[in-house]
Amino acid sequence: MRLFALWKSNCTTTDNRASLKVQKACVKLDDNVCRHTSVWPCSQTQGTIGANLDMERAIPGYGALTDSTPSTARGCGIGSPKSCAMLLAPAGSLEAARQAFQAGADAVYVGLRGWSRGGARGELDREQLRQCLELADAHQKRVQLAVNIIPKPQERQRLLQELSELADWGLQTVILNDAGFLREVRQELPGLAITASIGCGALNTDDALFYQDLGATAIVLPGYLEPEEIAAIKARASIQIEIMLHMVEEFIQLGKCWMPSYVHFAAADKIFPAQRLGGSVKRGGVGTCYRICQQPWTLLKDGAEADQRLFPSRQISRVAELAAFLDAGVDVIKIQGRSLFPEMVGAIIEMYRSAVDAWRCGQKGEWNAPALPAMWTVQGR
Amino acid sequence: MGAFELNTTISNLRSLRESDLSACDAVYLGNIYCRLFEDNFLERMDDLTEGIARVKDQGLRAYVTSYAAPRNDALPKVQIALETAAAAGADAVEVHNLGVLRMVHEQFPGMAAHVGGFANVYTDAGAEVLKEYGAVRFTPNYEISLEEMEAIVRGAGIPAELQVHGKMPLGVSDYCFLLEYEQHWPEKCPVLCQKQLFLKQGDWAMRSVGKGVLSGKDLCMLEHLPALMDAGHRVFRIEAAYETPAYRLQIAQVYRAALERALAGDGTVDESAWQAIREHTAVGLCNGFYFGRTGSEYVGKRVEAATAC
Repeated sequence: MRLFALWKSNCTTTDNRASLKVQKACVKLDDNVCRHTSVWPCSQTQGTIGANLDMERAIPGYGALTDSTPSTARGCGIGSPKSCAMLLAPAGSLEAARQAFQAGADAVYVGLRGWSRGGARGELDREQLRQCLELADAHQKRVQLAVNIIPKPQERQRLLQELSELADWGLQTVILNDAGFLREVRQELPGLAITASIGCGALNTDDALFYQDLGATAIVLPGYLEPEEIAAIKARASIQIEIMLHMVEEFIQLGKCWMPSYVHFAAADKIFPAQRLGGSVKRGGVGTCYRICQQPWTLLKDGAEADQRLFPSRQISRVAELAAFLDAGVDVIKIQGRSLFPEMVGAIIEMYRSAVDAWRCGQKGEWNAPALPAMWTVQGR
Repeated sequence: MGAFELNTTISNLRSLRESDLSACDAVYLGNIYCRLFEDNFLERMDDLTEGIARVKDQGLRAYVTSYAAPRNDALPKVQIALETAAAAGADAVEVHNLGVLRMVHEQFPGMAAHVGGFANVYTDAGAEVLKEYGAVRFTPNYEISLEEMEAIVRGAGIPAELQVHGKMPLGVSDYCFLLEYEQHWPEKCPVLCQKQLFLKQGDWAMRSVGKGVLSGKDLCMLEHLPALMDAGHRVFRIEAAYETPAYRLQIAQVYRAALERALAGDGTVDESAWQAIREHTAVGLCNGFYFGRTGSEYVGKRVEAATAC
């Protein structure tokens, strides 16, 4: 909490500056000055989204959930018109979603309790998810659902059923992490848009084509790729490209690390024996990576201590380069961090919103990113 | 293939020339982690052509591996390596990256594809997808237990390749932190990562190879080979991309002898085999994730095998 208080005090000035720029950008959009058109509206700065929303009254038919039969054609993900880049925010709670929308996010991604990589912290239960969908719908925003663990074979049918029910609630997009399950969802629920999670480990053009072949609507790429790489991918692939421009780059690539389960596998399996496979974050595991790479290690060379060190990692925030990524054809700007405090989500989204809007309005080179306070970092995935 | 296949991994021509492969049936050529690895087969097409010929001249199968996590800048080289592999008569290519699998499927339809451990095959559904892309064999993700593996093999209908000895891959990186030490150490890239470098914390350790992290302990399934064969597995790997020719030879000899005995219904292991393994073990032994337990644990009669040597 002490660190959070420090962050709040540090970001006040930047916060205001970002808000001002957002408002300016919107004025230009309203005056039809913007040369880019988009289905994604300019950020909303008036009012407080959902602040006084009585969720129980706001959601028609709110009550006990009942099973429904699987349906096969829902959502508008497939074949959606290509749009100006969407700003996709993390939301580990309803409040985070509210703040993200308020700050100008076009969509949020949330985890469904028990089924998302990253664990119970930052996941919504079904009721919270329904409220989130309602909140988004009320403001013409979208929700993506991260169900990005790898379900056990015997769990797949149950999860498909659950996704089918959620699609009936208005869910349009799911984020998946396994090629096999991805194809199964594509076949069983053809109306759902599917994003291949960053945990799929895609890095290159042929990866994008692979997931495109498989029926994914979008693929998430890590923020350490360069705009030239995005442009090359877009030149050959029609799949939407999401890029996580605000993330922690850890030493081991996401989806390619099982160092934690080399140490703690059994413990992981005990915590969620019914719902999750044991093992790494990629797999679902315990939902935490134990931060193995962020602990001090002794480097031994030929048996002698050579150094005490951490694995290298860094906070990536490429808002200053955002125009280059947008020029390269990025479809979605994604922000990492479902465990971020809602206020931090709002502040970060506001900054990216202003940058996206500046680009849309042709303000290339005229937008200067506010300096990031030290605490504008991802606390965990 | 005979009654079983025992294969190993070699990163460059120098190491291939120095290695006695008489106990192996097949070899994977190339280093999957780093394009800068000393004379990596995957970057030197003349060496790769010669390497394939050398392996095949010994009556062994020659497989060409590919990078674990290639970005776009590596794909042209991957393409050339695939073309070289095809032209030189490689028996299969190993792919860890699904984009590369698609390249093989689209451009080299006659080439057998082995799916590597970094391709993240966790389920039968995943394996089925890759089978449709031409995969004829797969190494499951290293976190998969034997029980889960059997379900995948049964469901997907393609055989699994099991690492039975050597340091187990634990992750791959886009960045080599060993380069930070070039100014301070006499060894430089591209041989820096071949030094005996371990990251240690408390009583456990991992091997650093620059852009990759391996288990510090050697995965060892020697005393479990009869069970593996009873379960129907026939393809076994000794992971030795960062090991010496002596390691490659002596460990392969131990395993070939044990596999032949297991095939004959004899599950015993000579004490001399354990002695050979001990000589090539820096930290200790483990079973990886095969028994559904923490990867660094060892399950078996050789309790002392798990302890540091």
